[in-house]
Amino acid sequence: MAAAAPVAPPDNAQASGQQTGKRKGVQPLRAGEGHSFLLRRLHSLSGIVPIGAFLVEHIVSNFEAVNGPLAYAQQVKFLNGLPLVRVLEWAFIFIPLAYHALYGVYIGLRGRGNVNVYPWAGNWGYFTQRITGYIAFAYIIQHVWRQRFSGVSLPEHPGAAFHKVQVELHNPWMLAIYVIAMIATCWHFAYGIWLFAAKWGITPGNKARKQFGYVCAAVGTGLCVLGLIGMYAFISPKYANAPDDVMPAQPAGIVLPAPTTAAPGTTNPKQLGEVR
Amino acid sequence: MAAAEVTTPKHPASGRTITVKVKRQRTPDAAAVTETFAIPYRPNMNITSVLGEIALNPTTTEGKGTTPIAYDANCLEEICGSCAMLINGKAMMACSALVDKLTGPDGNGAITLAPLSKFPVVRDLAVDRSVLFENLKRVKAWVPVDGTYDLGPAPRQFPQVQEQRYPLSNCISCTICMEVCPQFNDATGFVGAATIAQAKLFNMDPSGAVLKEERLRALAGGGGVQECSFAQNCVQACPKQLPLTEAISDMGRDVFVQQVKDFFRR
Repeated sequence: MAAAAPVAPPDNAQASGQQTGKRKGVQPLRAGEGHSFLLRRLHSLSGIVPIGAFLVEHIVSNFEAVNGPLAYAQQVKFLNGLPLVRVLEWAFIFIPLAYHALYGVYIGLRGRGNVNVYPWAGNWGYFTQRITGYIAFAYIIQHVWRQRFSGVSLPEHPGAAFHKVQVELHNPWMLAIYVIAMIATCWHFAYGIWLFAAKWGITPGNKARKQFGYVCAAVGTGLCVLGLIGMYAFISPKYANAPDDVMPAQPAGIVLPAPTTAAPGTTNPKQLGEVR
Repeated sequence: MAAAEVTTPKHPASGRTITVKVKRQRTPDAAAVTETFAIPYRPNMNITSVLGEIALNPTTTEGKGTTPIAYDANCLEEICGSCAMLINGKAMMACSALVDKLTGPDGNGAITLAPLSKFPVVRDLAVDRSVLFENLKRVKAWVPVDGTYDLGPAPRQFPQVQEQRYPLSNCISCTICMEVCPQFNDATGFVGAATIAQAKLFNMDPSGAVLKEERLRALAGGGGVQECSFAQNCVQACPKQLPLTEAISDMGRDVFVQQVKDFFRR
């Protein structure tokens, strides 16, 4: 008896799997393999703590600029006076931020956005989360370089902080970049909280997700407004042309008490000259 | 049009025709070509009946004779999940896609048909969706009751559990949720919403729950539940209105809890 002709194309898994070792099309689940669950959840968590927490701290601290250069300098001095501050900075800001940014770009590059075909709210959210992430990534690189690692070093010269930011924001291009980045970052954070709750199963129901969406929108908007007001303090006429430095240098290591002798040239012995 | 007049038999219809452009390919590896057909209009047509009309008279508008269009279909009433395709660029079921809603505001717009874009084409509009079957196998989306003796009646299911499970049991494996998902692609190898929802369905079954931990561990693997980025296209596009995002959220939590348990106990 002759062999029956195949009635259907051979099965994908058998047809191409045995010959090339790989199926055509999207690969099936690699059940239980790899560490992408851990890495992806770490990415999600790191966006809330410590990065999100730092973002809130950063915006709230910068809001202190509303009270002028000296108040701002004291806030900078306080933060740089925290115990193990350099360890805190690397362990809770730079390293998590670098991980979140690089893994986020990796996630973004592997997505195939289709909001042009399916223009639905959630799909816009997906698209916007990636765009705002890229904006924040590019902005933070220049921001960290220009404000933290180049120019006058603020940990040792907290008094120079206001002036340093003021000079930056007086460039209209930089101001535009800062405003765009503030909005993008707050959006990314607020929608990120919402995504976190959805993905970790904190808000599984439609109603819970919708209501939590309003909460996240309020948090994001509030944070953004706070940030923009803080930013305005640097360019407002009230503190125009702030002094280069409003505080003595704060050298690392053992710091001797400020000299009690009157600086040469001062007329009031109780008013100390600026110590450099 | 003169050539078409010769070969196209006159229909006793209103005279109005629908223009249908179909992306076709003869074999899995052949280049795709687009053929255009003019179909006599009848009220309440769906894409299945359009494809039936083309099969009755497989002649393009250029008068060229061609073959009927190959596509998967079985029930013709949105219950078998076979006839998913791109209709006007969007993933829909051919059987439940109504022509009157697809021809634009003036009713004269052309309808485009194309195979689902994320699955290997077998021929024309028929694609190989076996990846879904493979995924369902990998999460053990079944109730293990096979045995050599009578296992007795199934455990009682509370009505509340039944009510949660029933919507998930409506999945017809059409793969539209996967097609519309930005994360379901070659780079991620994401498992897709349907499989995650089925894992939840069987985890909630009193007998199926015996494989719960295995399903949760499987879903933590490469392409697992973590690849979901909550674009929520799946739940928008699902023709059976499955609560897919809820299932993904629930499974995301369960998979995480299982991973933590395994980390400390295994």
